[in-house]
Amino acid sequence: MKECLVIGKANVGKTLFVINFAEYLGLDHIEVKISFPNGFSTVKCYSIPQARKELTGLGAHKTRCLQSVHLEIPARKGRKKLKITDTTGLMDTIHQDVEIRRAIAQTLNVLRQTDTIIHMVDAHNLYMSEASALLGEIDYQVVQFAQMRGPYCILANKMDLPGAREGLQLLLRELPGQYVIPISALHKRGFKEVKAFVSRCC
Amino acid sequence: MVIHKGSTTKISFSASKVTYLLEKGEISPVEALDILRRQEEELIFRGEEKSKLLLEQSLEELDALVGLEPVKTLVRELQAFVQVQQLRRLEGLLTEPLVLHMVFMGNPGTGKTTVARILGKILCEMGVLRKGHLVEVERADLVGEYIGHTAQKTREQVKRAFGGILFIDEAYSLARGGERDFGKESIDCLVKAMEDHKDNLILILAGYEGEMRQFLRTNPGLHSRFPIHITFPNYNLEELLEIAELMLRQREYQLDIEASREVAKILKCNIGTVVENPGNARLVRNIIEQAIRRQAVRIVKEENTGRDQLMTITLADIQGGEK
Ligand SMILES: Nc1nc2c(ncn2[C@@H]2O[C@H](COP(=O)(O)OP(=O)(O)O)[C@@H](O)[C@H]2O)c(=O)[nH]1
Ligand SMILES: [Mg+2]
Repeated sequence: MKECLVIGKANVGKTLFVINFAEYLGLDHIEVKISFPNGFSTVKCYSIPQARKELTGLGAHKTRCLQSVHLEIPARKGRKKLKITDTTGLMDTIHQDVEIRRAIAQTLNVLRQTDTIIHMVDAHNLYMSEASALLGEIDYQVVQFAQMRGPYCILANKMDLPGAREGLQLLLRELPGQYVIPISALHKRGFKEVKAFVSRCC
Repeated sequence: MVIHKGSTTKISFSASKVTYLLEKGEISPVEALDILRRQEEELIFRGEEKSKLLLEQSLEELDALVGLEPVKTLVRELQAFVQVQQLRRLEGLLTEPLVLHMVFMGNPGTGKTTVARILGKILCEMGVLRKGHLVEVERADLVGEYIGHTAQKTREQVKRAFGGILFIDEAYSLARGGERDFGKESIDCLVKAMEDHKDNLILILAGYEGEMRQFLRTNPGLHSRFPIHITFPNYNLEELLEIAELMLRQREYQLDIEASREVAKILKCNIGTVVENPGNARLVRNIIEQAIRRQAVRIVKEENTGRDQLMTITLADIQGGEK
């Protein structure tokens, strides 16, 4: 089964995306395999609303481990299976909390091995900030890294918020030639194109 | 885009060292990912260089074959097609399924096996086949004598060919004997193997053009499973002479003028008259190998045989039979 890694800075909406995308594909509950940086792992079952409540939210670094969900995408012949993995938010600088540093190391480790990379950015935040701070330096690094790997796309999230359209324009100008899908993880907008993308990759 | 040209961080670290430093808080995520990326680039570069070189060698080997222009063009098209499909997959674009089972049509001695062998190498270097070796079989290797024997024999050959090419010479002979013949069972078994091992096996059916076309017509299921058809043309006189020259050069022999005229004459006659086997490189090889043996008999009795004499084939060596 192919693995698809969702990666990006903290609070861009990675976790909400994974949960809502699972719901979009017809699941009413999800089994989340949680792998901690120390190698320990466990499986937890959530209803979708419960998952949204417990796993997402503002406040830095809600996610501190890898959280994988198995998805099935209807295809011409039967169904395609896919593992989608949510990760700890990345940042540019050295974090003072060792637990978070470990979680980021864990994220980069799976990044080296994953089949498909979904890179999420917050289009609304892009507009809010100055052009110089458009994307984190880490985002540019992810873009460069992904060029050498398999399928890759950028999700421009939070398109429902004011200013996100302008943010998207800035993003497209800043990263010419990249495959960008505008979405709203909250309202499940743009998910059809994401589904088409992942089903091509698995 | 941030460019890290002058970056001073070492890339000689192992990946685990990088994550260790990251955990320790000695490098930032940006620096860590930068190192990991450059390591990856190194690896890809080295791997690419090596397989590119091998691929080029195989394509050169193909080009070095005498004649066969339409075949070369097709193989190159095939190579480009496979490469583009791979690039499209990397971009997440829709890809055509790579069905590379083929039919090679042509007379014996027109280069079918040679091309299949090179093709195996090319596809291996492109990452389509894991091993790219060629397993050459014919009816007797596939068809058994009693019920169940055929499936077992066929499966065995298929297994040998995993990761490479199963080349079935005179494939139409599998349809010989009609419905109750075990050849039919072998065909069914091959078709099943093709489905089960899609990514790991390429089948090539080879044989005379007329017989192959008839075979495909009477087994319509096969037609769609073997989408690539390559026709191997007969060699013309010029090409046959070139082949003769090449064979001699490889063996470190040469023809004197009279001998070379005689070879041309023999080939010319055969192209016109030998209906079942015109334009056949095997004829060339037979002529040359016989001539080499006759030359040996002739000069072994002579004294003072110099380098020139040891190398030269004369008219007398050629004459006295070419069949
Ligand atoms: N308006 C809006 N808010 C979103 C969207 N996606 C995520 N959020 C909010 O952004 C915050 C961070 O989301 P979360 O999934 O935890 O981010 P993560 O750190 O990338 O996993 C949460 O409060 C989400 O409700 C979106 O498309 N639109
Ligand atoms: Mg999260």
